[in-house]
Amino acid sequence: MTSDERLAELRQLFLTAPESTSTRVIAIVLSLLLVVTVLWLVRRRTLRAEYTPIWMGVAIGIAALSLVPPLLGWLTHAVGAWTPSSTLFFFGELFLLGICLNYAVRLSGLTLQIKNLAQELAVLRGELEAALSAEARERTGR
Amino acid sequence: MKTLLIPAFQEEARLPAVLAALADAAPDFEVVVVDDGSRDATGELARRAGATVLRHPFNLGYGAALQTGYKWALRSGASVLVQMDADGQHDPRDVAALAAPVAAGELDLVIGSRFLGAGDYRMSGLRRVGRDFFRALLSGFGLRVTDPTSGFQAMNRAVLELYAGDMFPSDYPDVDVLLCAHRHGLRVGERPVRMLESSRVSTLHAGFAPIYYVYKMLLSVWAASSTDRRRREGA
Repeated sequence: MTSDERLAELRQLFLTAPESTSTRVIAIVLSLLLVVTVLWLVRRRTLRAEYTPIWMGVAIGIAALSLVPPLLGWLTHAVGAWTPSSTLFFFGELFLLGICLNYAVRLSGLTLQIKNLAQELAVLRGELEAALSAEARERTGR
Repeated sequence: MKTLLIPAFQEEARLPAVLAALADAAPDFEVVVVDDGSRDATGELARRAGATVLRHPFNLGYGAALQTGYKWALRSGASVLVQMDADGQHDPRDVAALAAPVAAGELDLVIGSRFLGAGDYRMSGLRRVGRDFFRALLSGFGLRVTDPTSGFQAMNRAVLELYAGDMFPSDYPDVDVLLCAHRHGLRVGERPVRMLESSRVSTLHAGFAPIYYVYKMLLSVWAASSTDRRRREGA
């Protein structure tokens, strides 16, 4: 057997190796825990409802990969990775990168809104002070 | 009505002298001091000197302080706005000469240039390289100015309306906003100004700040020019 053939065999072994039951149970418990945490945060009004779909999606994704084992094997094969754990890390990091960028965009928007609000406040207070001092001048002049 | 805008942050030591000099040199201007969240007596001293004080609830940055003044000037119906720094490096005696071309309708935006022979202002080596680089960049877009980073400027309502928009940066509005004004068809020109001695300790030109400054300016110039192109193509 050549080294290439040995490598191919080894790779096949990695791809078809069944996940241990405990790993799957832990993953399912984690996804349930994520759903419960998200719901609890929404109920406490710490997390706004419009930010929840992405986390529900993550929970469903984790649960689906655990409940349907061939899914992860197929995904690993599709991206050309050797082990299912590499695939998980790869997509996990991609997801985190995406969400960080998304938050940076939202932060930029919020920064602009806060700046505009603070400016509006400064201008309004200036107008109020000008009106009050004009009124005071009028009163003392009378 | 003419507005004189001074953005100020922690300037209680130098601002009163500037305001006193302005009372003599530019008595026909409404002096507006934007206190950018100072923790000292900047705002109170300005108010005592008779200026209109607009106070930010927290520090927003030099560009944002300028923009608050623009928004005020637009709302109060000012026809001409002159902006100058609070640290006393701009000479109040130049205010009238800077405002004149705008008031006469000859120009929309007038930059007070330190390099047109009115004084003997000298820049350090690295800053001169930066200035020359941005000069060349602007002239590549058809805008010829000798002092693109001068904060001493005069403008009319057309410029104010443009600068009150969301594209105006909160930190350093320099080359990018000049280019934006130029590409919106506004007439940009220069007049000579003197620079006075100031005990300014510039944090902008220390450490990595100059590198960030050049990077940010290039990015803003690129964004401004590509936005304009998109708008033209869409039209």
